[in-house]
Amino acid sequence: MNADRQVVFDNVSKFYGEVLGINRVSLSVPPGITGLVGPNGSGKTTLMNLMVGLLQPTRGSVRVLGMSADHPEELFRHVGYATQYDGFPPGFTGYQFIESYLRIHGFEKTEAEALTWKAIERVGLVEAAGRKVAGYSKGMRQRIKLAQAIAHQPSVLVLDEPLNGLDPMARAEVIALFRELADGGLHVIVSSHILHEVDLISDQVVLLNGGYVVAEGAISGVRDEMEEEHPAQVLIRCSRPSLLASRVFEHDHVVEARIHDDGKGLLVRTRDADKFYLLLNQVVLDNDLTVETVMPTDSDVNAVYQYLIVGNGEKP
Amino acid sequence: MVSQSTSVGKSSGNAGIAARGTAASLRRRQVLAVVRLELRKSYFGGRGVGLFLLAAMPLAIPILILIARAFRGVEGETAETTTLFAGLYQYFILHFVLFLGCVLVFGSVMRREVLDRTLHYYFLTPLRRELLVVAKYATGVVVTAAVFCASTLATFLLMYLPEPGGSAFIVQGPGFGHLAAYLLVTVLGCIGYGAMFLAFGSFVRSPIIPALALFGWEFLHALLPPLLKQISVIHYLLSLCPVPLSQGPLAILSDAPSPWLAIPGLLILSGVLVTLSAWRARKMEVAYEED
Repeated sequence: MNADRQVVFDNVSKFYGEVLGINRVSLSVPPGITGLVGPNGSGKTTLMNLMVGLLQPTRGSVRVLGMSADHPEELFRHVGYATQYDGFPPGFTGYQFIESYLRIHGFEKTEAEALTWKAIERVGLVEAAGRKVAGYSKGMRQRIKLAQAIAHQPSVLVLDEPLNGLDPMARAEVIALFRELADGGLHVIVSSHILHEVDLISDQVVLLNGGYVVAEGAISGVRDEMEEEHPAQVLIRCSRPSLLASRVFEHDHVVEARIHDDGKGLLVRTRDADKFYLLLNQVVLDNDLTVETVMPTDSDVNAVYQYLIVGNGEKP
Repeated sequence: MVSQSTSVGKSSGNAGIAARGTAASLRRRQVLAVVRLELRKSYFGGRGVGLFLLAAMPLAIPILILIARAFRGVEGETAETTTLFAGLYQYFILHFVLFLGCVLVFGSVMRREVLDRTLHYYFLTPLRRELLVVAKYATGVVVTAAVFCASTLATFLLMYLPEPGGSAFIVQGPGFGHLAAYLLVTVLGCIGYGAMFLAFGSFVRSPIIPALALFGWEFLHALLPPLLKQISVIHYLLSLCPVPLSQGPLAILSDAPSPWLAIPGLLILSGVLVTLSAWRARKMEVAYEED
């Protein structure tokens, strides 16, 4: 894909004195929702701050849609960023907060007002717009920051832990909004430590640990690449699981076939999931088995995270 | 609740904004927006109280003089008042009130944003950081100049108007010229000290120590040799005051610079300091955790 349509990190390192922020990161982030995943201190916020020029790389370069943070008058027409920082101009209402910064973008008064209301509507804060931000709950502050980031209708949206503090209902709605924005062709780059939510929303993920990118790409692709070292795990709920076990275990790519503890299913570990699913179809047809469910148990972000970051290769 | 009913616009709002009007008119709108925001944030809320109280302090002096004269049953004389006001202006307003006001306003131009954790909002707008610094500095100059000029004007009128010949001194005599000169010095003081404290605030975490050092330097400038006087802001400001005062028995005398040197010199120095601050902002990183 054309680099002018991507967020590109070219061998970027950032050190805070002698402390490593991120090291030798080369990435190309395409449109869609990209989840940044990693433990605290892994470099997620550093990566995001470098993207928008709040930090400057020690080495390497970052370009967003072909633009650099050295030219904010171009870049920030296209980029919106909701940071983790919980600061707001003192004494401002939610409406004043968004409208004031839209005016700095150069919008005329009427246009800024219209965009402000549109953004506030999108995050569901119309009723609270006239209240001081200082009196907002954590979830409302998260939403007003999100509104501020999307108000100027950017094409790249960077969101640092945007789901923190939101109740389950608001989370679902914000996630739906991310999906809607991404479907409209935007880059939505989201950091989160809530893995199942990242799994739910992300088209691709970037896994960070200790300042290094340990994996990137579509989660299925990342998982596939790990199959040799970490065979894929599939749970099959079916009739006669012991027969299924004996049939599949004849094949080299199946490294383990274990009857489930309740005796009503089979847990298989395979180095080639695609081949296994073909084999499964064949065995089911040949032996007239009744299959209730077939469920990969370690193909989500959580499993990849556990393998690559937490467990050092142990099974999740 | 989050609405999904509105259409998703890919850069439809902001990307086209540069096309509306010239680049110069866009920058003008952006700078005016910063000025409005700064006024609302930093001066019209509770944060402006300290500045306004400080500016009101000189008014207490003519009021006290009026009360003292009323008790003694004497009336002021214009010549005496002229010397009194010159002393009040040069030693109290210029050395203390305006100086401290500029420390308050300009020393925290960037620092306060860091403490409030709001600097990134500015840095994430399509406005060059250099222009942001200039806009914030200009707002500070406009506010401090307006506040301290008002304070100087009110103090001047309170000193002269109650006197029998006070009105005539202002309208028909040299009083109006004196007032204009004091107001000019006030504006230049805001420009010069403003630029200096802006630079202090940009380069050091707390501008208090360098501000105290500068206060001492400026306060003792009369004792400095002529060469060192020339790197003192107050030296140029005092040379523009209409009524020269004795600097005391220990003062080292030197020629006062001409207005043609003093005014451009102060403006050039201020320009250099603002440029340095703007350069610093361009290189600045936002890492609130360290603060």
